[in-house]
Amino acid sequence: MTDRVERELELPVAPESVWDAITGDGWLADEVDLELRPGGDAQFRSGQEVREGWVEEALAPSRLAFWWASDGEPASRVELTIERRDQGSSLRVVETRPLDVLDLVGVPLPGLGGARRSFGPALVAA
Amino acid sequence: MSSQRDLAGDVFGALSDPTRRALLSSLAQHPAATATELAADLPISRQAVVKHLGALADAGLLDRERSGREVRYRVTPAPLSEAVGWMADVGAQWDDRLATLSRQLGGARAAGGAHRGEIPR
Repeated sequence: MTDRVERELELPVAPESVWDAITGDGWLADEVDLELRPGGDAQFRSGQEVREGWVEEALAPSRLAFWWASDGEPASRVELTIERRDQGSSLRVVETRPLDVLDLVGVPLPGLGGARRSFGPALVAA
Repeated sequence: MSSQRDLAGDVFGALSDPTRRALLSSLAQHPAATATELAADLPISRQAVVKHLGALADAGLLDRERSGREVRYRVTPAPLSEAVGWMADVGAQWDDRLATLSRQLGGARAAGGAHRGEIPR
């Protein structure tokens, strides 16, 4: 089973402007530190709340996929897709928590960190 | 993605119907009931009950177990409450973030939903 949340929003600005807004400080968290390359580190800080994770894919200005988790919580995967539209852009958000996929391939559930490289292929298969 | 959604059904969709909520509540009190037993307590036909139970089972809220000529149903409560809680929390967080972005960049027409899907095995 996969738990999944999906949202879509249309914005009257170009994908590049959307990309800058969603990868910069103040949107995903107050302070966003994203290494925009596959396997790059990600840190999200809002006051006392810190989420850590890693970047699965970063393709400016159209696609950002990353994993994040608060301390002790199961990780979830976020996929942000920006498409150019006549009047601007659309932004689609999908957040999933595909824990069973990881169970299925016998990979320890991500507290992130060192496990990341070993469960990469399982995620692609999902 | 959409076929995954079609196959899986939708927890919230399944729970949007009052008859289905009544069935879930009835099953929580009488585990392993059959459609015939459940229909006895409701003002609808056994056939209608079976259809609603099918929708609940497709959304992952019930387990079906064959027993002779009948099928017995059980609620799967732990994943349900946990999943619904997660989807409600995470959904509300994205609603907030998208509203912020929309104010910042002047957007419109938000749409979306939350659902529980089954990964093909």
